[in-house]
Amino acid sequence: MSGSPTDFLKGVVGKRVIVRLTSGVDYRGILSCLDGYMNIALEQTEEHVNGIVTNRYGDAFIRGNNGGYRSRR
Amino acid sequence: MATQILPLELIDRCIGSHIWVIMKSDREFTGTLLGFDDFVNMVLEDVTEYETTPQGRKKTQLAQTLLNGNNICMLIPGSAGPDS
Repeated sequence: MSGSPTDFLKGVVGKRVIVRLTSGVDYRGILSCLDGYMNIALEQTEEHVNGIVTNRYGDAFIRGNNGGYRSRR
Repeated sequence: MATQILPLELIDRCIGSHIWVIMKSDREFTGTLLGFDDFVNMVLEDVTEYETTPQGRKKTQLAQTLLNGNNICMLIPGSAGPDS
């Protein structure tokens, strides 16, 4: 299946993504790597709360269980 | 005897068509289903996100999106979403 979640994730490594947690907080950055638990590492990360930048991190690790979704942009 | 359709079979038949996804929270998504896996994580394209807040419904347009299956509650195949 070419459109499967695994293929999608392989395709977005190295690209700019938005990761939204179940809490509604957005993390925008470059997806550097991920694993089978959907743990993800982001570079040049910006933390957005209600559309306002609240923090910037050089590297960030997000544990997969925080759910949410990722979007290509 | 009536033929049975398993839930995952039904989702498989929806690939390529429009689908409305309702999450456990006050969040809904519509878009074209590109694929899914055994956890019902889903990849959608041309997505509209609907967030129901006390101030009203907030709409956000998204490109290709991976939706975590953990928080999905209900899927409505063929529907254009809450506005239809």
